[in-house]
Amino acid sequence: MTTSQTRRRLPSALLWLVLTAGGVAFAAVLTYAVVSALKEPGDVLTVPLSWWPDRPMWGNLVLPFTETPFARYFLNSVVVGVAVTLLNVVTCTLAGYSFSKFSYPGRDTAFVVVLATLMVPLEVIYVPLYALVYDLGWVNSFAGLIVPAGTSAFGIFLMRQSIDAVPDELIEAARLDGAGVVRTLLQIVAPLLRGPVAALALFIFLMNWDSHLWPLLVGSDDEHRTLPVGLAAMQANNLGASGLPMMMAAAVLALLPTVLLFVSLQRRFVEGLTMSAGIR
Amino acid sequence: MAAPTLPVADRTVHHPPSTRRRRRGVEPRRDLVGALLSLPALALFALFAIYPGLRVFYLSLYDYSLTAPPEFVGLDNFTYLASDPRFLAALRNTVFYTVATYLPALVLALLLAMGLRRRLAGFGLVRLLYYLPVATSWVAIAVVWRLVLHPDGLLNQALGIDVDWLTSSAAARWALVVMGVWKETGFFLILFLAGLSRLPGDVFEAALVDGANAWQRFRHITFPLLKPITAVCCVIAVIRGFQAFSPQVVLTGGAFDTEVVNLFVYKTAFESARMGRASAVAVLMFAVLLVVTLVQLRVFRREDA
Repeated sequence: MTTSQTRRRLPSALLWLVLTAGGVAFAAVLTYAVVSALKEPGDVLTVPLSWWPDRPMWGNLVLPFTETPFARYFLNSVVVGVAVTLLNVVTCTLAGYSFSKFSYPGRDTAFVVVLATLMVPLEVIYVPLYALVYDLGWVNSFAGLIVPAGTSAFGIFLMRQSIDAVPDELIEAARLDGAGVVRTLLQIVAPLLRGPVAALALFIFLMNWDSHLWPLLVGSDDEHRTLPVGLAAMQANNLGASGLPMMMAAAVLALLPTVLLFVSLQRRFVEGLTMSAGIR
Repeated sequence: MAAPTLPVADRTVHHPPSTRRRRRGVEPRRDLVGALLSLPALALFALFAIYPGLRVFYLSLYDYSLTAPPEFVGLDNFTYLASDPRFLAALRNTVFYTVATYLPALVLALLLAMGLRRRLAGFGLVRLLYYLPVATSWVAIAVVWRLVLHPDGLLNQALGIDVDWLTSSAAARWALVVMGVWKETGFFLILFLAGLSRLPGDVFEAALVDGANAWQRFRHITFPLLKPITAVCCVIAVIRGFQAFSPQVVLTGGAFDTEVVNLFVYKTAFESARMGRASAVAVLMFAVLLVVTLVQLRVFRREDA
């Protein structure tokens, strides 16, 4: 064992060096964005590039708010993201509870149909989906942005798996104590689901924050633009060099919430992601 | 077809369905209430997933512009697409983007996972550096990459080259690939690391004792054990490749041979108001995804046995 340990010490150092250098290279893009956001317009694209502005222009970070409707886009993204997340937590928990702890004809068929929708990405159905939302009068409305995203097959799957792990005896005891179905869910089951619910909520929020195609279709007017739609529009209006620091500031501000969420709740996110890919 | 890849929680074993079934009929009213709880989710699925999913097949046979009633045209949409050079180019561009982005991303993610699973000092932080792109939004990060890919931007200066990344057909497709690899590698790294952490350690111990070298251990133990996860990753990669939309919209708008199928659908449906033709593309896309997924799962399962 000793020989193999010494044989492995040098490769370990090399491995550490290579992987760390690679990680730094990956992170360079984000650092570049932050640094560029603090430069004066004329200093952004210098050769050679400088990794720190001569005089950091902290005021640049306010420009998106004063020069564009960035605040509204940001707020829209928060509102839509929170609403979609809450809806998903409610609908997925209810459905997961229903599929896990009750017997009724058609239950397993319904669950399989739900899982089957996992294979059909939005990209395949958005034309008729848009036609439907158009007929409902929901184009350019928050309803159009929120309601169609109000549940998820992955979420139902995750919640059913988690509720399966709640002992039947616990639910039986609550029933004998006279607790109704909903009360049992709220007082007995829900407290045991904190972890899975957190993973689900984080996952749905991050996905929704990134969502571009659907908001572009149903929220393209200025009132309803979410960040991705708004940023794309801002960038189209600011292709010149003068707008570069402001665009970088806007992009960094748009990246910040999910990056911070990810860094602070990495374990939960990884949990949600690996669950969604079916890896356990 | 997604179903076979889905896991069964270990813990369900302790609560077989029989205990649940035992209660059937004891309190039918309770089960009825339980059934009703699934209604909000099922109603949303029925209206916003299943109905449009079926309707897309119907619309693919019609000429439809949203404002006028659909007009039946049979398979005309499909025969048109078969000879539309723009659609065929979009298809080629999508296949190129998917293969050129996700093959390197998967290989890189697997290599990184093999290295990063070691418990070396600071590796938690290093892992996070690779993960960060996963937490970014495509549009916001594409705005950043427009600067990275500028002739005087970070990429050219770092590599000491002088390429007009976004304004030539030769380079633009590779620009999107470079950004895609940067953005997506971390995603698969997370999946591979999760998969590796669940492999039984004693097999490796035994191989070490038997004197297997690193490559032999990877070739004969790790990789075969990782096959199910690799299969899932490949399926996800193809689906994500065909979903590509935002970077193309933000960086090139589909110019310079970067128009992908999804962008073609968007333009056909919403700029040319050809909803029926766009639906026909969606039907083809669904067929492609279905076939690719089935083939990949089949291939990986056969080698497994």
